[in-house]
Amino acid sequence: MFEQKKFTVSHAPFWHVGSSVSTRSYNIIFAALPAVLFGVFTYGIPAVGVIALSVSSAITWEIAFNKVAKRPPCIGDGNAAMIGLLLAMLLPATAPWWLVITGTFVAVIIGKQIYGGIGANPFNPVLVSLAILTLSWKNFLDFNEVLVNYDFSYPMAYPLASLKHFGVFAISNLKPAALLMGQQSGGIGAIFGLGLILGGIYLIIRGYIRWEISISFLAGVWITALLFNMADPAHYAGPVFHLVTGYTLIGAFFLATEDSSSPVNFIPMLIYGASAGVLTVLIRNIGAFADGVVFAILIANLINPLVDKIRPKALGKVI
Amino acid sequence: MTPKRELQIAFGLIIILLLVGVISYAAFPAKPPEVPIRMYYKSVAGNAMFDHKTHFAESGYALDCTQCHHHPPYPENLDDAILKCGYCHKALAKGQNYPDSCLDCHDEADLEDSKIAKKSDAFHSQCIGCHKEAGSGPTDCNACHVL
Ligand code: HEC
Ligand code: HEC
Ligand code: HEC
Ligand code: HEC
Ligand code: HEC
Repeated sequence: MFEQKKFTVSHAPFWHVGSSVSTRSYNIIFAALPAVLFGVFTYGIPAVGVIALSVSSAITWEIAFNKVAKRPPCIGDGNAAMIGLLLAMLLPATAPWWLVITGTFVAVIIGKQIYGGIGANPFNPVLVSLAILTLSWKNFLDFNEVLVNYDFSYPMAYPLASLKHFGVFAISNLKPAALLMGQQSGGIGAIFGLGLILGGIYLIIRGYIRWEISISFLAGVWITALLFNMADPAHYAGPVFHLVTGYTLIGAFFLATEDSSSPVNFIPMLIYGASAGVLTVLIRNIGAFADGVVFAILIANLINPLVDKIRPKALGKVI
Repeated sequence: MTPKRELQIAFGLIIILLLVGVISYAAFPAKPPEVPIRMYYKSVAGNAMFDHKTHFAESGYALDCTQCHHHPPYPENLDDAILKCGYCHKALAKGQNYPDSCLDCHDEADLEDSKIAKKSDAFHSQCIGCHKEAGSGPTDCNACHVL
């Protein structure tokens, strides 16, 4: 059936950088490595376990779905491996094996395949999965609780939780530079901000992600946090703190930029990125969760089809 | 890369990483340190974090173990005193003045007029008592408890 000679009109994304989907996936995996390796050095074998299980189970779910749906295997495109890696980067190193496997199931099957596979998912699969895990097993994702046995030279209270519950005073001794260098508690691949920035720059230069989304996301975070901070510095942390903690940087360079759930034109990309950034800080400062990145980007995914309607007028169009 | 080669890579990843993952989980189970570093208590009033190590470490508040692990008062061996608070501070049945665990070390005759605080009262009066005395450290409910 698949040998039939027919013209197939494929779905989004249409942006072409002149390379195949698999090169793209493996380049994103490559760009994530500095942050991933840092997480492995920090959290040791348990982090290796989470990452390895997450990547392998994500690919396994995908090939299993291919078999059940009687489609040709698509695991060669590396997209499932990438989803597995990104999910592992958000999880704590102590995530139990069943949580990892459930997480990749939700990401690959519910987040992506049931919508028709790569390019057809309206939401970022990794974030769909993390949101469901957060709502279902929030204790296993509470970094303060699950990382109690890790002891480093720096404070291991999750910075965003300290800020949310104890106020600006509780984070006053945290230095942004130290946080950027990964001296904080958090997800395996989300703590090393510098590594994430390097990976992001690489992906932007190679054209695998769009700088418009990353930069507008960060600008949205920065400006909103700054406004809150100026209004009431005793209650709301400064913009730099918000940039270097939680999932902000991995969100800017690896999550918000997911191709099929983000827009393709210039103005829409700016609106999409900025609204995710603004929402992130709104959720952190006045919402229910310590970190807002996951839900902020999912909501931005939701408005993506809408903002993507803003597009340049076609030249010479006749009605 | 040809599609065939891409598939081989993907299957290779499954096999190798599954092996690595299973080994990491099975052969290196995380074992808690002998002296806890931090504790995370859950209660109806919200979770509370206690940074154990910082309280006794030289680089922290340099408290003596026996300031908290207070009974027996002059232990020959520190290990005798280092028990869970709840080992002695328990909710008691009606008519009971002390828990059975006291009898590990005492005769009933010793304990005639003993009274023992239940666990959360023991925590509150020790933690908050010392913070008040030291003039630093949290004393308000919402400085320890997180809902
Ligand atoms: C500020 C008070 C404080 C100080 C100082 C302190 N501890 Fe503790 N320790 C605790 C509390 C509270 C617990 C938790 C008991 C519980 O959960 O019931 C605990 C638990 C422990 C446990 C685990 C007991 C078990 O059975 O699970 C060990 C071991 C321990 N402490 C050793 C030490 C040592 C060794 C020192 C001195 C170097 C020390 N502690 C100093 C308050 C303290
Ligand atoms: C081996 C038994 C035992 C253990 C373990 C123990 N206690 Fe006690 N605790 C006692 C006894 C007996 C008393 C009453 C006599 C006394 O003051 O020594 C007491 C009294 C207290 C008091 C004073 C009560 C009041 O109402 O003023 C506090 C506070 C206290 N304990 C806190 C703790 C904390 C916190 C821990 C855990 C770190 C702990 N205890 C572990 C036996 C124990
Ligand atoms: C691990 C052993 C052990 C346990 C368990 C224990 N005690 Fe003791 N207790 C001692 C020792 C040792 C002394 C010190 C005796 C001495 O100095 O003569 C002591 C002393 C006391 C004293 C004398 C007053 C003081 O503070 O010096 C009282 C009262 C007491 N214990 C009550 C209790 C009660 C009540 C419990 C149960 C909640 C309890 N003990 C559990 C070992 C223990
Ligand atoms: C013997 C004295 C003592 C006892 C007992 C004690 N603390 Fe403290 N605690 C301190 C001191 C001293 C500080 C230092 C405050 C500072 O320097 O900011 C502190 C600070 C803290 C802080 C603030 C840490 C931070 O990073 O700001 C917390 C939370 C805390 N203690 C919780 C507890 C809990 C929970 C208990 C009971 C299980 C407890 N403490 C028992 C002496 C004590
Ligand atoms: C120094 C830190 C600290 C402060 C301040 C503090 N608590 Fe707690 N509280 C704790 C810890 C630690 C526990 C956990 C003890 C346990 O596991 O039973 C706890 C437990 C509790 C519990 C659960 C009791 C149970 O039986 O399960 C309640 C209710 C509570 N606290 C209320 C309060 C209230 C109300 C205040 C303010 C007046 C307060 N706490 C202040 C540390 C604190």
